Amino acid sequence: MTTINSNVKTATPDLNLKSDVILEAKGICKEFNGVYVLKDIEFDLKPGEIHSLVGENGAGKSTFVKILSGVHKPSAGNIYLNGQPVSFDSVWQSEKAGIRTVHQEINLVPYFSVYKNIFIGAEKRKKFAGFNYTDDKKMREMAREVIKRLGIDFDVNTPAMLLNASMKRIVEISKVLVHNPNIVIFDEPTTSLGEEERKRLLKIIKSLKNSGLSIIYISHNLEEIMDISDRITVFRDGRKIDTMNVEEASIEKIVSMMLGHKTYNNYQRDCSYCYDDIYLEAESLYTDKLKNVSFKLRKGEILGIAGVVGAGKTEIAKAIFGLDPIHKGRIKVMGKDYEPSPQNAIDFGIALVPEERQAEGLIPNYCVSKNTTLTYLNKWCKGWVIDRKEEIKVTEEYIKKLSIKTTGPNQVIRFLSGGNQQKVILSRWLNGNFHIGIFDEPTKGIDIKAKEDIYMLLDSLAREGKSIIMLSSYLPELMSLCDRILVVNEGSIVGQFSPKEKDAEKKIMAAMLGGEYCGSSD
Amino acid sequence: MEVQIKTKNANLLNFMRKYGTVLGALVIFIIFSFATKNFFTVNNLLMLLRQMSMLTIISLGFTFVMGAGGFDMSIGNAAGLINIVFAITLINTNNFWIALLVSILCGLVIGLVNGTLVAYVGLPDFIATFAVGSIVYGIKMLITKGNPIFFPENIPAISLFIGQGYVGPIPFPVIIMFVCVIIAIFILNKTTLGRRVYAIGGNPVASLYAGINVKKYRLITFLISSFSVAIAAVVLTSRLGSAQPLAGEEFLLDAIAVVFLSTTMFGDGEPRGEGTFVGAFIISMLNNGLTMMNVAYYFQYITKGLVVILAVVISVVLGRKMNLKI
Repeated sequence: MTTINSNVKTATPDLNLKSDVILEAKGICKEFNGVYVLKDIEFDLKPGEIHSLVGENGAGKSTFVKILSGVHKPSAGNIYLNGQPVSFDSVWQSEKAGIRTVHQEINLVPYFSVYKNIFIGAEKRKKFAGFNYTDDKKMREMAREVIKRLGIDFDVNTPAMLLNASMKRIVEISKVLVHNPNIVIFDEPTTSLGEEERKRLLKIIKSLKNSGLSIIYISHNLEEIMDISDRITVFRDGRKIDTMNVEEASIEKIVSMMLGHKTYNNYQRDCSYCYDDIYLEAESLYTDKLKNVSFKLRKGEILGIAGVVGAGKTEIAKAIFGLDPIHKGRIKVMGKDYEPSPQNAIDFGIALVPEERQAEGLIPNYCVSKNTTLTYLNKWCKGWVIDRKEEIKVTEEYIKKLSIKTTGPNQVIRFLSGGNQQKVILSRWLNGNFHIGIFDEPTKGIDIKAKEDIYMLLDSLAREGKSIIMLSSYLPELMSLCDRILVVNEGSIVGQFSPKEKDAEKKIMAAMLGGEYCGSSD
Repeated sequence: MEVQIKTKNANLLNFMRKYGTVLGALVIFIIFSFATKNFFTVNNLLMLLRQMSMLTIISLGFTFVMGAGGFDMSIGNAAGLINIVFAITLINTNNFWIALLVSILCGLVIGLVNGTLVAYVGLPDFIATFAVGSIVYGIKMLITKGNPIFFPENIPAISLFIGQGYVGPIPFPVIIMFVCVIIAIFILNKTTLGRRVYAIGGNPVASLYAGINVKKYRLITFLISSFSVAIAAVVLTSRLGSAQPLAGEEFLLDAIAVVFLSTTMFGDGEPRGEGTFVGAFIISMLNNGLTMMNVAYYFQYITKGLVVILAVVISVVLGRKMNLKI
């Protein structure tokens, strides 16, 4: 095991090489509650290389790096560091061994200066009169040095809240580098950065590589991956598909590997009964996250919106439902001008089933019936007084209709399984009479049976003449359910596809990942 | 995970979690009945009810605020200011109803400021209501210069009846209290307002996504809180027959204690009207019983603090155990 070298002045990390592989994972498996999310992963990292991991959401990349960084323990398999077997019980142990992660989220204390943020939790100390004090002078010096190493120059006394997104990212990277790690894992470091900033960050990461650092790089942006990597490993459904040198790789090849020959859901919708009436029309919407989003939604249509996590799907839903302020652009609902707000949305017949069931959907301490009637509560009231009997009756109807597994309307909802909770949230909207239903990742984290129930429900809603917007990062379900699929990337709509056109899936996947699919290369 | 609480043990746990504090109140009641000569007498119990009436009314309003996940630090000082406002208006107009109306309006203005700052401006409720309470305290002192204001002789009889009168053997404040308790329980348990208040307290984000106008309802809870403070302050003034510059201040700590006790009863961690009534009874019973046992007042404060900690800790620990068991 290597020890952490706390002296930041040596620019090249203490590699102590014995072999040409610094990190090796053999036969890594991981199961959660009996479900395998990783199976027999073989992986190696050479000193001074950038090795990228790609795969769809849920393919297992994150779980794998979490095992490397000590967040999870593998169910089977071994990790070797410089040829020595290691086992990490905690993040702390992995960090001690020289493995550090630059996380996707920015975690800075806004009113702390840059150097204080860099040394947060690892403050340098000095002794004076028998007591320990923070050694701010030394920390400032070390912080300056690290930032300089990144080829950047700015005042380490600046409070973090005054920095822009890319500078914040630089601070996050410095936070890691100051500990002189041997291996750094970058988890989607370029999300929410502009084009220029992105290029600059990629340059910095390359220069870190050239200084001898070994880097594991995760990104959803394939062009970026092609630009920066030495080797690329593709994950799919918890398995490693292949590792290749960047010279042998192409966007088309990676996309094909990520998709594989997936067996689709048995479910394939017949999309032949769309009406011509336009139910919803968005005209060049701009919000904090969205740029010039326009689309039309027809009656009886299921419109898919595809995009990787963080691409801006949820933001489209939020803009329509009035949860994010719209800076520019307008929305028409059934030909009428519509001012977005949750109350207006309900009046105009718009329903939103949010992505984060726990945080945005459930009232956890409320029973099934109270969760069911929450939105259209006035329907079950005489005046202001709730008619509990009616409420129970309608809840029982939906429990039967959607086959919700519960002990009854009075069971507290947090004791239900994810799929059944989701069905309760669905019935909350179904008991009203909405025209436009927005479903944000409606099948996230629920079992196969419940998924198919929800597909069938969405289809029958469309047949009744309702319009559905389905937001999902899981392509197969969009392919089998939607009439049209829009692809969102970085807050803009970058393409529109019909699931029936040739190579639609590959084209959509490439568009989701910021590339273009130009037909198969082999 | 559709598992029910199956074992007898879990049923008992659940019962204790919901009704443990009520049982505790009974135990204290019995102890006082045996430990002192005069506690368990009709006269004393009626006096106890009268003593608790104002605290109960204020706590009921506070229950709405805390039910929606908020906090109101201004209630003590607000009661103090309305105490003064009621007395001054009454003396100047010699009309009880005008004085009552002005008092309620004064309460609603305080609630409006609280609610606007918290719900619409977005200040943290502790800070906003603490600051408003401080301003209200300053205004009160500015008006009175620290001196009490006494009712003159020829004041309308009803002004004294509200706080001092009896209907049969029952003190009139007790009747007002029970009317308020019934209305509050009805609103909280049976109406859309109550349902939405608790929904916001349970998960404000999900409430917003479900189309509830979260800001509006949070404002309403502060209006209800200040309204009930106004009612209690009028009863207090009438009871005292005067306006006292320091009156009402003790309501803040006691009402916080009451509503925290309330969160340990009947429900699932949310304060209920029923629980608030029992909570106010516990706090007032401690004041009354400990005084009878000749316990010095500073020990009374210590005892009240300990009882609240004990009840909340037991409730939280049992709640955690329940979640593990299921």
